[in-house]
Amino acid sequence: MIYFTELQNIPAYDAKGDYLGRLVDLAVDPSQNALRVAAYHVKTPNKRLVCITYDQIQSISVRQIQTSVPASNIRCYAPDEGLLKVKKDVLDQQVIDVNNRKVVRVNDVDFDIQPTNGHSELRILAANIGFAAAIRRLLQGLVAKHTIRTLSGLFPSRTIPWEFVNLIESDPARRLKLRISYDRLAQLHPADIADILEELSRDEQKAVIESLDDETAAQALSEIPTRMQAALLESIRPEKAADLVEEMPPDEAADVLQELSPETSAEVLADMGKEEAKEVRELLGFEDKTAGALMTTEFIVVGESATVEAAVESLRHFEGPLETVHFIYLVNNDGGLAGAVPVARILLADSTTPLKGLSFEPLIAVEAETGQNTVVDLFHKYNLVALPVLGPKGHLLGVVTADDVLEVVVHRR
Amino acid sequence: MATEETRSGLADPERAVADREAAGRLSLNRARYRRFRTSFLMFLAVVGPGIITANVDNDAGGIYTYSLAGARFGYSLLWTLIPITVALIVVQEMVARMGVVTGKGLADLIREEYGFRITFLLMLMLLFADLGNTISEFAGLASGMEVLGVTRYIAVPLGAVFVWLLVVKGTYRFVEKVFLVACVFYIAYPLSCFLAHPGWSEAMTATVKPSFQFNSGYLSMLIGVVGTTIAPWMQFYLQSAVVEKGIKLKNYFHSRLDVIVGCIVTDVVAFFIIVACAATIYVSGHRDIQNAGDAAVALKPLAGRAASWLFAFGLCNASLFSASILPLATAYYVCEGLGLESGINKRVHEAPAFYALYTGLIAIGALVVIVLSESKQVPIILLSQVINGILLPFVLIFMLRLINRKDLMGEYRNTRLFNWIAWTTCAVMIGLTVLDAFSSFLPGHAAP
Repeated sequence: MIYFTELQNIPAYDAKGDYLGRLVDLAVDPSQNALRVAAYHVKTPNKRLVCITYDQIQSISVRQIQTSVPASNIRCYAPDEGLLKVKKDVLDQQVIDVNNRKVVRVNDVDFDIQPTNGHSELRILAANIGFAAAIRRLLQGLVAKHTIRTLSGLFPSRTIPWEFVNLIESDPARRLKLRISYDRLAQLHPADIADILEELSRDEQKAVIESLDDETAAQALSEIPTRMQAALLESIRPEKAADLVEEMPPDEAADVLQELSPETSAEVLADMGKEEAKEVRELLGFEDKTAGALMTTEFIVVGESATVEAAVESLRHFEGPLETVHFIYLVNNDGGLAGAVPVARILLADSTTPLKGLSFEPLIAVEAETGQNTVVDLFHKYNLVALPVLGPKGHLLGVVTADDVLEVVVHRR
Repeated sequence: MATEETRSGLADPERAVADREAAGRLSLNRARYRRFRTSFLMFLAVVGPGIITANVDNDAGGIYTYSLAGARFGYSLLWTLIPITVALIVVQEMVARMGVVTGKGLADLIREEYGFRITFLLMLMLLFADLGNTISEFAGLASGMEVLGVTRYIAVPLGAVFVWLLVVKGTYRFVEKVFLVACVFYIAYPLSCFLAHPGWSEAMTATVKPSFQFNSGYLSMLIGVVGTTIAPWMQFYLQSAVVEKGIKLKNYFHSRLDVIVGCIVTDVVAFFIIVACAATIYVSGHRDIQNAGDAAVALKPLAGRAASWLFAFGLCNASLFSASILPLATAYYVCEGLGLESGINKRVHEAPAFYALYTGLIAIGALVVIVLSESKQVPIILLSQVINGILLPFVLIFMLRLINRKDLMGEYRNTRLFNWIAWTTCAVMIGLTVLDAFSSFLPGHAAP
C-alpha cells in the first residue's frame, strides 16, 4: 500500500531515463474503471503540465515513476471534467462515509500498486481520515518518507474503503460524468440521511437531494430542521420542490410551506397534485402550536357499521405510510367520529366481526384549537400513540401521532 | 356496509368541505398575522450573528483599551472610531457574504482551498491567540467583580462553571435569550457615561474632526484601538454563525444590515467608554490605569458610585459574554478545519476533541487568572496579541482571495470598486496590526 502523500512530488523519468518532472495529481476515469488511476499529471521543470496515461507507466514506487515510452509520446495536459482528480476533488474535501453514516474530511488517499501485463497500475483503496494521515500531511516533504511512515504508524489510522466513500459533487453534469450515484446512501434510514444532510453546505445538500428518488428525499427532508428544509427547497427548482413537498407527510409539508417565502410557497402549492395541495392548504389554516397544526390528514376512516374485512380492504388501499397507522377510525352517517379501532385488534378478529365492537374505549379526542401543551399532557396521561382531532361539529379532521408529540417535547427541552 | 373511504374522506363530503372552509376562514386573519410575525421573527433570528460578534468584540481587552484611550488622550482619539467602523463593516460584510453564499465556514474554505498544513498552522495560532483572549476575559471578570466587592477566588471559578454549563447544558433557545439579554446590558456604558457629565459638544467635535499627535504614545494607542477592534477570530466566528443560522441568499439583505448595525453598535459602545474616561480620569490628571477595573474605580470620585458600578457591571457582563462565546467558537472552528467532529449537539464521546478544546480553554483561562499574579499574566496576554497580529494578515488575505473566486462566489464576488476598498482597508489593517504586535514589546506600550 502507498499513500497519496508519499506519491505527491515524486520524480518521473521517461524510457530513456530522462527527467520529466514531478507528480502533482492523479486522475481516475470513472467511465472506464472506477478504481484504476488513468492519468498521472506531471509538472515539468518549465512549469508545463503533462499527462502520462496508465498504459505508459512502467513502474511506480515511493521514489519515482518510470514510463515505458519516450518523452515525445507523452501528451500535454488537457483539462477534462470527466476525470476525478485525487488532489483537487478528493483530498481535503468532505465525503460521505456511507458505512458509518457520517460526513468526514479526507486527509489522505490509500493506493495499491498492482502489476498488470508487465507494468504497474495504481488502484484506489480507501480514503484515509485518521490522525496518522494528518501527521503525514503535516510532515510531508519536510521529513524523510520512511521516518514519516514510522511516526504515523504510532497513531491510530482510520480508513474508509473506497466502495463506501460517497463523493459530493454539486454540479449535476459533472456528477453524471464522474458516475457518482447515491444508491448506497438511499438505502440508509431517512433519519440517517437527514443527519448527513445537516452536516453539508446548501449546494451539497442540493446535490444529494437532487440525486435521491423523490420518496427517499422527501422522507430525509422531513427529518431536518424546518428552517433548513425551507432554505433547501428555495434553492431547488419549484417543480422539484413541489414533488418533494407532495411526498412529505401533510403536517410536515404545511410546516415547511409556512417557513417558505409567500411567493415560493404559492408556487410550490400550485405545482403540487390537487389532492395533496388541498390537504396541506387546510392544515395551513390552523394556528401554530395547536392540535390542528400538529395533526396529519393522512389517516384511515370507515363507516361505523363496517366489518373487519372492510377495514383490511381500506388498509390495503391506503396511500400514506403504513407504519404510522395505529388506528382505523369509524364515522357515523353525519361524519361524526364514532370510534377508533386499534389495528392489532383487527388483526386478531374474524373477518366478519363488526368494527364497532372492537373500538377503543373511552374515545379520547381534541378540537383543532386545543393547545399543543394539552395534547402533550393527554398523550402522557393516557399513554396514547395517536389522538383524533375534531372540527367544530365533531367531524374528524386529522390525527396527531406520537412522533409529532415527541417533536414538540424535544423542542421544548 | 356504509361509507368506506381511505385518506381523509368523510360520510358527507360536501358538508365536511363546507365545515373545513368555515374553519379556514376563521383562521385566515390569524394566518395573516402569523405570516407578519414570522417574517419579523425571522429578521430577529437573522439579526443574531453580526450583533453578537460585535458585542464579543467589546470584551475585557477592548474595554481596557478604550478606557486607556480616554484616560490618557481625552477626546483626541475619538475620530478614529469612524474609519474603524468603516473598516470593520468592510471586513465583516465579506465574511458574512461568504457564509451565506457558500454555506461553509471560513476554516472549511481555507482547508479545501489551501490544504491541511496551512489550516493546521492557522488553527494552532488561533488556538493560542484565543487562549490569551480567554485569559483576559477572566481577568476582566476578576477586576470587575472586585470593584463590585466580590473576590476573584469566588468570581472566576463560578464564572467559568457558569459559562461551561450554559453552553453545554443550556438549550439553544435559552442560550440565545441569555446572549440577547447580555447584549442589552451593554447599555451600562452609555448610562455610566451620562453620569460622568462629559462635554458633549467637545466630544462630538472630536469625533468628526481628525486630529493627530506625533508622539509614540499616541501612535501606539491608536494602533491598540484598531488592533483590538478587528481580530482574526471574529472572521471565523461570524462566518460560522451565519452558516449555522442557515441564512438564505434571499435574506442576505437582512444579514448585511445585521453586520452593519453590529459594527456601529460596537463603536458606539467604544465611543461612550472613551468619553466617560475622558470626562473624568483624563480631566482629573491621574491618567494611569492598570486594568479595566481601575477605570471603574477611578470613575467613582469623579462621576459617582453609580457610574463606577455600572462601568464594573458592564465589564463583568462583557467578560462573561465573551468568555462563553470565544472558547466555544475556537473549539468549533479548529475542529471544523481539521475535520474533527464538533458541535454541542454531539455527545462527549462523539466529539472528544471538541469538548477537550472547549473545556481546556475555559479551565486554563480561569486557572491562569486565579493562580498567576497580574504581572505574570501580562506576558501571556502580550504573546497572544502578537500571535493575533501575525494571524490577521493571513486571514485577511485568504479571505480576499476566496471571496474573489468565481467557482465559489459566482456573481457575489467583490466588485472592482469594493475590491479596491477592501484591499486598501486590509493593507492598512495589516500594517497597523503588525506594528501593534511588535510595539507590544516596546516600552510605553498602551494596549493590554
